[in-house]
Amino acid sequence: MTRNIGKLLAFLKRDFLSEVSYRLAFFFGIAGILFTVSTFYFFSKMISPDTAGLNGIDPFAWLLVGLAFQYYFTAALFSFSAKIRNEQLLGTLEAMLVSPTPTSVVIFSSAAWDFTYGAIRVLAYLAFAKLVFGVTLHTRSLGTLALGLALTLLSSAGLGILSASFILYFKRADPITFFLSALTTLFGTVFFPVEKLPEWSRWVSDCLPVTSSLAIVRGALLQGRPFSDLSGHLLRLTVMTAILLPLGLALSRVAIRKAKREGTLVQY
Amino acid sequence: MTSAVQGRGLEKSFVKKRSARDLLRLRFRRAERVHALRGVDLDVREGEIFGLLGPNGAGKTTLLKILSCLILPDRGSAVVGGEDTVHESRVKPKIGLVHSDERSFYWRLSGVENLRFFARLYDVPRSRSEARIGELLGRVDLLEASDRRFSDYSSGMKQRLAIARALLHDPPILLMDEPTRSLDPASAKSLRAFIADELRGKDGKTILLATHNLHEAEALCDRVAILVRGKVRQVGAVAEIKKWGMTERRFRLEASHWPLELGGPFRKVGDEGADGMRRVIVSLADGASLDDLLRAVLSAGVRLTSCEPVESDLEEAFSRILSAEEGRDA
Repeated sequence: MTRNIGKLLAFLKRDFLSEVSYRLAFFFGIAGILFTVSTFYFFSKMISPDTAGLNGIDPFAWLLVGLAFQYYFTAALFSFSAKIRNEQLLGTLEAMLVSPTPTSVVIFSSAAWDFTYGAIRVLAYLAFAKLVFGVTLHTRSLGTLALGLALTLLSSAGLGILSASFILYFKRADPITFFLSALTTLFGTVFFPVEKLPEWSRWVSDCLPVTSSLAIVRGALLQGRPFSDLSGHLLRLTVMTAILLPLGLALSRVAIRKAKREGTLVQY
Repeated sequence: MTSAVQGRGLEKSFVKKRSARDLLRLRFRRAERVHALRGVDLDVREGEIFGLLGPNGAGKTTLLKILSCLILPDRGSAVVGGEDTVHESRVKPKIGLVHSDERSFYWRLSGVENLRFFARLYDVPRSRSEARIGELLGRVDLLEASDRRFSDYSSGMKQRLAIARALLHDPPILLMDEPTRSLDPASAKSLRAFIADELRGKDGKTILLATHNLHEAEALCDRVAILVRGKVRQVGAVAEIKKWGMTERRFRLEASHWPLELGGPFRKVGDEGADGMRRVIVSLADGASLDDLLRAVLSAGVRLTSCEPVESDLEEAFSRILSAEEGRDA
């Protein structure tokens, strides 16, 4: 366990060093957030605070959380498969897999930086919103928020690993990432509440982990709602995590074994 | 002597890639398979440099990938360092793979940063890793360039860093896939000297070297296996392999002039002149002796200054083995 944590940290350090070697891109990425937040601030002025589904939350704050976390969900979905694909193209995947590090650790750790960078971006979004636009962030339910974020991380990782399994085996044409990315944007309550969708299609929103994640974050962070108010969403997210994470890990094992048998593990 | 690497009946085939047109046209037909290995048996002894020779597509890289647990064989078994390759967690600490692919590092990181990353993956204890990395960079002559970005390294430096990486965890067995492929002659020569003197000589590593460079194999290897279309056609000491299929003996005769036209059991197969001397290579058919040749030459008035047997080189032996393979197919 300690050994694997050391390896995870080595991956983080490697990607951090690569990232900061493109210094301008790194800092422009963070600075760009200020412009995005400003754009959405003025955009939100067109939205009535009484819009159904906002639950009394200021439209800008509501949108801001969706926006900040959308990057995080997208990173979770894409990063496993993108990193594995990138390592295949770079030729470094073979060098890693011939080491005594288990393949699952290589896959999991490859995406660690994207998750960390995603978290930094979320914090940057929230910091700009609070410091520049005066958005009120509640700290009463930090425990609930932390639990929600942990479940979000694990369920997203489950989906991400499922996606990476496709890449390992098929090399491209990853349907999971494509569908989930599109579904998240359309049905995930990122940019508008589920109440704006046709009634017959709202069940799709309920099936997505992102819907529960955003409900927890908005409830805890923007309204300071307690655990009991958000327990329904937490339970739903727990069930999804309990399904998605083991499924992702099991399928990745099958994909790795099959790719080794077919000889496609390190091909690109 | 104990086997460091052993393969028994190894078979591996891959699905042949189909064009988009074929995928539409032949969608219900079972995909064709390309047979990379067809029952390979192999024994590499501890402490030897064993050459895996073969033309492109012979199956050398596939065999190395099976031995390094990157792919699974369809049939057969492989034992590396006393462990079956199905137990990859036991095999991997015992092997170091040196790729021919220059891309297998992170180009925006320095040489030492790359090695630090791989040292963690290779379970080198943190307390020892810096010393180990420093020692290896020194051995491969990259200490001064260790803080330079990998992208700024020359091909020779990249290959030396690949060797340093394979040695991080001090494995007893090294698998090298065409390590001099992209090097200039001087760098290749220096790398061959490093392999022979340092890796085998000082460290006592067992080295399985896949190459299609026959001069390299002849210079480095104790024994070689000739792999043709997924099958081991010949295996043995380099000197034995060189004699394979040789039906004639050859002698190099040196003389100041050579007016003679040879016939009968003698055939002139080489003739070069330098420093006012002629060096003629004569092949003797079965039944003819060196005495007969010398008698014929001397009686024609040729004044010989030397006469020595000419050995077949590995390249010629390799060609004979390939020709025999083609004859078998025909």
